[in-house]
Amino acid sequence: MNREKKKDRVMWGFIYVFVFIAAFAGSVIFKMTYNPYGSEFSVHWDNSVGIAYTDISYDSGGANKFDLYVPSDNSKDSYGLIVYLHAGGFTGGDKSDDTQILQWLCGKGYVTAGINYTLFSETHPDASVYSQSIEIRESMVSVIAEAEKLGYPIDEMAIGGGSAGGCLALLYAYRDAETSPVPVKMVFEAVGPSSFYPEDWKSYGLDKNADAARELFGTMAGKEIKSEFGTLEYDEEMKDISALLWINENTPPTLMAYGKYDKFQPYEGSLRLLAALEDNNIPHDYYLCEHSGHGLQNDNKVYVEYMRKILEYLDSYMPVN
Amino acid sequence: MTLTQKRIIILLVIIVIAAVLGRLAVRAVMNFMLGGTMFGGNFL
Repeated sequence: MNREKKKDRVMWGFIYVFVFIAAFAGSVIFKMTYNPYGSEFSVHWDNSVGIAYTDISYDSGGANKFDLYVPSDNSKDSYGLIVYLHAGGFTGGDKSDDTQILQWLCGKGYVTAGINYTLFSETHPDASVYSQSIEIRESMVSVIAEAEKLGYPIDEMAIGGGSAGGCLALLYAYRDAETSPVPVKMVFEAVGPSSFYPEDWKSYGLDKNADAARELFGTMAGKEIKSEFGTLEYDEEMKDISALLWINENTPPTLMAYGKYDKFQPYEGSLRLLAALEDNNIPHDYYLCEHSGHGLQNDNKVYVEYMRKILEYLDSYMPVN
Repeated sequence: MTLTQKRIIILLVIIVIAAVLGRLAVRAVMNFMLGGTMFGGNFL
């Protein structure tokens, strides 16, 4: 009898352990695969929505390609263009990563484009944030010409991106808008760095290591940083890649989202951006994910509000004709 | 309460604890990589 009881206990012990492991694994899989946004920010893509043209070259570099999404309705006199630039820390990522948002916004009646740029790598050690921003600037003529060739004349544009793409989107909107082939009506971005002050970049230890800061920021700017931090000369040296330093009364409306605990680009930098937009009376909205880092991963409600606000901004600043 | 009822309750408790720990584990790993807090914002 005792032996029977003992056997029973051992069996149930195994059952408890097995159930724990199964529930734990199921919970992990669910958390990693669950899409909290449903289909709100996507579209079922087919010919009734639009047509995609992929890997169109805008220059001779291997990465100098873009994808263009055009709406099925080609009867309008003109269209607004939305460019969305991919994330990847300036060293990775691809325009195909943003297929969903490009299709979604195309489904709203816009011509959309995802543009690749030469990534910093062993094969491209000279690539920098600056060279990437120049490639984006130079690509815009080709993107607009291609849209026109397909029967979609572009008369205005918005630009957006995430992380590295956000940084490049801000640079185009703030630094290059004056020379843009069409007016830049607004910019939207998430977690893109817009300034490079060592005291902000604590998670890299740059606040305590000036040499490391000089090396990292120099690599990003594509040149040797010679001036002292905190000086006007330093600002001048970094201006090529610091969107913050280009803000003036003509800066386009800006929608942005940041994470308070971001390890990749400092939250403090986003406060500088916010202050500069306020000082210059630029229409803006700043969504802060109070519990999140670079992925804005712990604040779905705030992220949903940011995504919905993109449509509100488009309706206000670049409505579909 | 019969022994079977007790075992079912224990199983339910184990499932709830494991599910909570599973979600927390993912959040902890994501926070480690990207930054973020363990509590607040999304449920777990």
